[in-house]
Amino acid sequence: MEKEKKVKRSVYWNPYFGGFLLGLVIIFTFYITGRGLGASGAMKSAVVAAVDAVAPEHAESNAYYSKFITEEGSPLNAWLVWEALGVLVGAFVSGAISGRLKLKVQHSPKITAKRRLVMALIGGVLFGFGAQVARGCTSGAALSGMAVLATGGFVTMLAIFGTGYLAAYFFRKNWI
Amino acid sequence: MGPLIPNGIIPEQWDFVIAILIGLAFGFILEASGFSSSRKLVGVFYGYDFAVLKVFFTAALVSMIGLYYMDYLSWVDITQLYVHPTFMASAIIGGMIMGVGFITGGFCPGTSLTGVAIGKIDAMVFTLGLMIGVFIFSEIYNLISPFLTRGDYGNITLDESLGIPADMIILAIAIAAIAAFYFSDIVRGKVKKVFY
Amino acid sequence: MSKKYQLKKLSTRRYQILAAILIVLAAGLVLLPENPKHEGIAPNLFINKAMSTERYLSTDLIADKMINKDPSVLLVDVRSETEFAKFSLPNAVNIPLSKFLDEEFEETINQDVYDIVLFSNDNFMANEAWLLGNRLGYSNLFVMKGGLNEWFNTIISPKIPEETMPREAFELYAFRKAAGMYFGLGTTEVPEVKPVIEKCSCSCSCKFPCKRPGKSCSKRKKEEKCSGRRLLIYCCPLDY
Repeated sequence: MEKEKKVKRSVYWNPYFGGFLLGLVIIFTFYITGRGLGASGAMKSAVVAAVDAVAPEHAESNAYYSKFITEEGSPLNAWLVWEALGVLVGAFVSGAISGRLKLKVQHSPKITAKRRLVMALIGGVLFGFGAQVARGCTSGAALSGMAVLATGGFVTMLAIFGTGYLAAYFFRKNWI
Repeated sequence: MGPLIPNGIIPEQWDFVIAILIGLAFGFILEASGFSSSRKLVGVFYGYDFAVLKVFFTAALVSMIGLYYMDYLSWVDITQLYVHPTFMASAIIGGMIMGVGFITGGFCPGTSLTGVAIGKIDAMVFTLGLMIGVFIFSEIYNLISPFLTRGDYGNITLDESLGIPADMIILAIAIAAIAAFYFSDIVRGKVKKVFY
Repeated sequence: MSKKYQLKKLSTRRYQILAAILIVLAAGLVLLPENPKHEGIAPNLFINKAMSTERYLSTDLIADKMINKDPSVLLVDVRSETEFAKFSLPNAVNIPLSKFLDEEFEETINQDVYDIVLFSNDNFMANEAWLLGNRLGYSNLFVMKGGLNEWFNTIISPKIPEETMPREAFELYAFRKAAGMYFGLGTTEVPEVKPVIEKCSCSCSCKFPCKRPGKSCSKRKKEEKCSGRRLLIYCCPLDY
């Protein structure tokens, strides 16, 4: 049983190797486009597009949505949205190669799947909100910011992980 | 002379093709490093798996060292690269909210996408949560927008804020990262193993 | 068991090497000598700009702007101070080519408020100044085509068009004549300029045919040094 688990775990790349390749991708991204990677921006575009489709007047009048609505083209026609589509496909390919494609809820054996999903939803809401406040998430603000030594990137990174460690104790039952 | 698209060396129509290609590589690497698993990601906070720390800092170091070498060789003009603007208050508060979100939800936006791609239902719910979070933010934007521009330092970099040359900062980060990797392995050896 | 231990030792060694490489690379950034790269624009863009004739503004256009007192134009005389003192265009600023990159003038040249029109006796020195400025990425630099020599040919003493020429030529002539009156009033007479050219004391050769038939320009050809740089001056048209 344990052996099987071990085999399964080892199929992930060595983290240093993954990190090295990720660093190269960041360099390539900066070299080609002049800006870094991102992920939460795609979510924002999706939300803006959805609100614009459901309630266009509301989207126009809202100070935040209206920043991202342009005359020409949908807000979904953005760099980060295309990048996010690439992420989905790339992750799917990697998961397919390693045989990790499976529809399931991953959770600690100590909690129920339902509790995990509720937590995931709360976490998602918080993360989505925080990413807008900080103008970027772990990839957009912290990782890409650190690559060009942006002060904000380091501050955001420290805030994310620092708070994560502080809060970890209270959430330990969910994970270990 | 990079960056290529802003300098018109690659026509702008290629922007979206390149976006997909970069996304492909990004998603593949994240998934292959195990970032589609929330329990692996969260391991960094409980000491049973430091993949996040290792991947994150290795990537940051490789990219900053690489970019500064490329700048030295004039392959890329580092002053033309987009520097994430620093708004101190929102960076700290936003980061703290994200930190709590991370430990609660077990993902961050990029990794949740990889989870979605391989069929993790918790990742899908997390992504839905992300969108709800963005929606709530937009709806109360007028209330909180004065706060968001507090502590505006513009597109400042660490060497400018600290007054230390960039190369010294990079060297310090490299040493700190290797120390962190070393200690993370020690911690991991002492912490009870968690299988997932 | 021992095999497992060996494996662990091997991987430890591997990580030590990787860590060492990382530190060496980061330290390399610190130890590298000061960056030798150029400031300013990329060489390929620079060549494109240098080959283009977009930088040239005609004397007529400049005269028009000066008469209309266009505030967006700043005339910069890149000849030496002595030459500038002898004669220059009205409201021109003197930034000699030798001092073009001095800090005191940087604010004047490196800006995006005015269009700066560089001129010298001909295109040559103004072009050099233009190249220097563009290499550093300064924008809004222009060159008055033909320099002061052309200025005299067209504005101060324009050529009377022949009767067979189209109407535009006469209109242009009328404009030039009026402009010449405007600029000629009291300030400078053509003869005053002569010593300027002679004083410039550069290698002087005629680049285009003399206006007055029979008068060869080679007589005025002089070979002298001008601040270590040999310059070509279109001396011929000033031989009136």
